[in-house]
Amino acid sequence: MAAQYGEPAPTRQDPIQPDRSARLLVVPALAGCLVALTLGLYGRLHAPTGVAVDVIGFSSPATVKAWLATAATLFAVVQVVSSLVMYGKVPRVSAPSWIGGLHRWSGRIAFILTVPVVVHCLYALGFQTFTARVLVHSVAGCLFFGVFTVKMLALTKRGLPGWVLPVFGGLAFALLVLIWFTSAFWFFSFFGFRR
Amino acid sequence: MKIPTPVITLIVGLALAVSLLVSSMSAVSGKKAALAAASASAAAAGTAGAAQPAASGSSAAATAAASATQSATATPSASGGFVIPPHANYVGKVQGNRGSVAIVVHDTFAVAYFCNGSTQEAWLNGTPHNGKLSMTGKGNARLTADYALGHARGTVVVNGISYVFSIIAVHKPSGLFQSIAVVRGATVKAGWIVLADGTQVGSLNPNVNAASDASQAAPKLNLSTLTADDGGVTIVAKPIDGETGSGF
Repeated sequence: MAAQYGEPAPTRQDPIQPDRSARLLVVPALAGCLVALTLGLYGRLHAPTGVAVDVIGFSSPATVKAWLATAATLFAVVQVVSSLVMYGKVPRVSAPSWIGGLHRWSGRIAFILTVPVVVHCLYALGFQTFTARVLVHSVAGCLFFGVFTVKMLALTKRGLPGWVLPVFGGLAFALLVLIWFTSAFWFFSFFGFRR
Repeated sequence: MKIPTPVITLIVGLALAVSLLVSSMSAVSGKKAALAAASASAAAAGTAGAAQPAASGSSAAATAAASATQSATATPSASGGFVIPPHANYVGKVQGNRGSVAIVVHDTFAVAYFCNGSTQEAWLNGTPHNGKLSMTGKGNARLTADYALGHARGTVVVNGISYVFSIIAVHKPSGLFQSIAVVRGATVKAGWIVLADGTQVGSLNPNVNAASDASQAAPKLNLSTLTADDGGVTIVAKPIDGETGSGF
């Protein structure tokens, strides 16, 4: 019935249609699920080789990964702090003009640093469940890349609800810290802080 | 159409992952090619390599280990598309999490060890042949396995109980460690398996010459000093490492 009269004229208080915003997340969410599932299935089905391409300058592949993962987590901390400044959540600190660039570049660097780690992890070690630590690491690892994909794709959409970026950004950060805690932190505590 | 920068980030990451995956696969198959190429000349050279493990001195051992990666001295083989490495260390839990097993292969010798961290343990040895292992140990312990680059799978029987395993190749600091020492007048033999994730499991036989086996849990092995405390006595462990030939 309402269609006969056409759309009401927009007013200044006209809000963004809520269901249009939520639907925009469907494709990114599906992409994220696909990424997470692919990583998990690959890790489970591919027979881990125990070896992968090595990076010179480190004593073993495990130390390479521990250092790269730690560096990625440090850049992720920069991510969180810069996003807090961007959203005006830090008292007495106003967002400088370069804060957006810092946030984007620290994020890109953190992400790229995780790539060699996850490739080695999946190819050489696989999705493992023999202790709680490796199970949490394997699950969080798959989820992280799914969440990161969603967050990246969400950035390309206009009209998303305001909670989307902080939630997915925060979730990505939490998952990365969990991944780091169940691997690099454990490795350094166990084998010592070494190169 | 302009690609949004977040999508560019994802694409760059994906491209990097794919290229690393491809180079990992070719690194693994490069080792296969090197081993396959060396096998032709090694077969002609005969058993010149058999004397290598007996060399003493750290520099000799280092060059032996270095040449081992080119496999000029060993006789690798390929069967069914898998490459059989002449030197390898495999560790892992057995199915059902009832214990762990370690297999170390070094040229014509292989050593294996099974333990559950308390009363069940066995040392086995045998001769690797074409990627197959058939090993025996005290008390009718038996192990049969197929091994190749990166993984090994098979069955080990200890005290009449059969355990199936599928384990991966590991490097330092994971691997197999052994200590044989005289403590309080008895010969004590202990073994530790350090798994790929760094956790360890070990058993200790307080008297190898006793008629019956009274194995127990081994004291925790300190991985940086390779020592453990057996009731106040410090015992020293050495690695059994297929890559360096240590322990063979």
